[in-house]
Amino acid sequence: MLRSPRPYLGFLGIGTFFLAWYVLVDATHFWRFRELPGFVSSVREWVNPNPVYGISLFTSDYYLHIWSSLYRVFGAFAVATLLGTTIGILMGWSRIFCGLTFPILELLRPIPILAWIPLAIILLPGRELPIIGLTFLAAFFVTILNTLLGVRSIDPVYFRAARSLGFSELGILAHVIVPGALPYIFVGLQIAMGACWFSLVAAEIASGQAGLGYEVWQAYYYVQFETMVIIMATLGFLGYVSSALVRLVARRLMRWRTRALAGV
Amino acid sequence: MTAVPSTRLHRPPRPAFAVGMMRWLRAGSNLEWALAIISIVGLILLWEYARPLGVPGLENVPPPSEVIRASAKLLSSDIYWQAWGLSLRRVAIGFLAAQILGVPLGLALAMNRTALDTIFPVVEILRPIPPVAWIPVAIIFWPTRELSVVFIVFLGAFWIVLLNTIGGAGSIDVNYRRAAQSLGSMPRDMFWRIILPATIPSIVIGMAVGMGLAWEMLVAAEMVAGNTGLGYLLWQSFEINAIPQCIVCMVSIGIAGFLSSEIIRQLGRYAAPWQRQQ
Amino acid sequence: MEARTRSGSLSIRNVGKVYNPGGAKVVALEDISVEIRAGSFCVFVGPSGCGKTTLLNTVAGFDTVTAGEIYLDNVLLSAPEHAPQPGSDRIVVFQNGSLFPWKTVLWNAVCGPVQQGRMKYAEAAAHARELLARVGLKGIEAQYPGELSGGMKRRVEIVRALINEPKILLLDEPFRALDALTKSVVQEYLLELYDLVPRTVFFITHDVEEAVFLADTVIVMTTRPGRILKILNVDMERPRTHRILTSERFLAIENEIRAAIHDEARKAFEAGERELAA
Repeated sequence: MLRSPRPYLGFLGIGTFFLAWYVLVDATHFWRFRELPGFVSSVREWVNPNPVYGISLFTSDYYLHIWSSLYRVFGAFAVATLLGTTIGILMGWSRIFCGLTFPILELLRPIPILAWIPLAIILLPGRELPIIGLTFLAAFFVTILNTLLGVRSIDPVYFRAARSLGFSELGILAHVIVPGALPYIFVGLQIAMGACWFSLVAAEIASGQAGLGYEVWQAYYYVQFETMVIIMATLGFLGYVSSALVRLVARRLMRWRTRALAGV
Repeated sequence: MTAVPSTRLHRPPRPAFAVGMMRWLRAGSNLEWALAIISIVGLILLWEYARPLGVPGLENVPPPSEVIRASAKLLSSDIYWQAWGLSLRRVAIGFLAAQILGVPLGLALAMNRTALDTIFPVVEILRPIPPVAWIPVAIIFWPTRELSVVFIVFLGAFWIVLLNTIGGAGSIDVNYRRAAQSLGSMPRDMFWRIILPATIPSIVIGMAVGMGLAWEMLVAAEMVAGNTGLGYLLWQSFEINAIPQCIVCMVSIGIAGFLSSEIIRQLGRYAAPWQRQQ
Repeated sequence: MEARTRSGSLSIRNVGKVYNPGGAKVVALEDISVEIRAGSFCVFVGPSGCGKTTLLNTVAGFDTVTAGEIYLDNVLLSAPEHAPQPGSDRIVVFQNGSLFPWKTVLWNAVCGPVQQGRMKYAEAAAHARELLARVGLKGIEAQYPGELSGGMKRRVEIVRALINEPKILLLDEPFRALDALTKSVVQEYLLELYDLVPRTVFFITHDVEEAVFLADTVIVMTTRPGRILKILNVDMERPRTHRILTSERFLAIENEIRAAIHDEARKAFEAGERELAA
């Protein structure tokens, strides 16, 4: 939005959204909207040093929940990225490995991540591991697939050139396959990040003890709707920031791309 | 590696459908088929004999034989098929709503820069909130549980459809537009004849991915807020510790998701035939 | 250095290439026999699809012949039972460019010797800078290929190839995508490098003027199935400048080739039309 020549339009849009929220809920109590928490009351709760329901910018519980969710997401994301890209590259590199792993992948992939919750709880001990495991799984599938696509998308002429120039197989892996697949890998990582947050929240609702997903459900259950809105907004913010982080890393690692695009 | 002749010639007709696994198997040689069979059979055998072999962690997972028995029982029960119907209906409604709202909105935003600059930031703010987090709001807001579940399904698919439509319409080669303009087309023509058809491939991708997401959301919504449907059945089986049934539900949902995505891709092929010949 | 230029003689004997012999047979090359002296600049011309690239691929090692043999310095390089491997003694400069876009110009230029372990990076870099300077490129070592113009990219790619001191330098219509002015400048650079160290060059083009300007020997090929129509020696002095382009001798040779090619080009065109109609 800030890149557009008219950023004030963006602010106008966002402002209209909040205005509509205020009008529909706080002011006119229009139809079902009256059930929802008001814009003003939510914001007031959020910045309240002594919040009615115990969660605000000034309470430690708020940050406790954020931290719980964060470390789960980043832990799962990191492992999924490492494993996923490695396996994806191996699949692109070795026909045999691909032949053995691709069918299994394609069979398991259509099963929605959340449908794995029961199995995750059975297979993994404790309370933390199933949640992290589920979050991992979501990112894992996406990363493998996009990595594989990335390797496949590399123009074969680069392989020919490398062979012609006498590269070893390892050289091709390091200097053609990995850099060539990077654009697709990063697209996959952004999607994976979104998938992580999605699975995390669902998993936390289903079986958590702390964390934003757990808290959003608790807030609903105990009719603390303002808190619910605060958590939702926090989730949105964190999700956006984490995706932006991935994009940032992508820009640094693929300097050649940004420079080429800028020059064109 | 054999080089390919430089001009088109006598290529065998492409198989009319299937992406992913199917096309890969078709295009693949005997080696690919053999490896596929080895790995799948291997996996099933490992799963079946995990318990007696003492493979750590898998002791509590029922082996395929039990699962098959459970599926036989489940497939003959009414509840199962009712659940199928209900889930299908919810996905269909939610998905269609996402298309009906998402595609025109996406096209409108792509055509009008002002609208895009104004509305897109709101999208970017709302989109990162996981649809699952919307469940409580959906329950509060909508008068019935059914509508809440459908709303979550809708949300899941909506963002993707919107993004893909905007992206597709925005990336149309400016030369196509110029060609159309020089041939004297009016803005209305431009839209229906140039922009819409060129966006269709992106829309189709958005739909295929959106369909997958719709099923994900459905499971989430049904597990948390529903009281019928395959997702709910899955969770219920878990709660009464009928794990084989659980697995059957998992597989059913997986199959449902896969089939619906395939259908979308097929329809996509018909809608954009010029994409077929590559 | 002297000994190197004596090697690189290519003997192509009765080479044929048939694609898909079991199915829809496509005869790309038929009975090609040509002797290429070490250190000579050899250009193959012919209409599109006449098999020039196929022949280049068999020499470079990306493809096998189905009939005949190819000898490099009297050692068997390629035969139906003897598949060649691509190697740095026969380096290819590709039509659409193959500089690794994710590596800097310098890395691209030195990657051959460095990856083969023949030279240390610093040493190779020094060589590369010298060669780059010879083709008029200074100070761009830290840039990425995406930031370079077409002419610059082609020159870097030639440097990347030549730094390996290959026995044969193969170029597959390398200047096709350049505009006329850039093309003539890059051609002159190529000839300068060639005059410095004459090595065997296997050059493909469809541009008759380019062929006569660059070559010692011009080999005219027919349309599919590719056969040798004519072999002409261009006995013009080196070093050549663009001034010879309008000399009588040059134009005479050019006309001779053009006449031969034009018929072939029409045949190729009609064959293409027949394919489309089929």
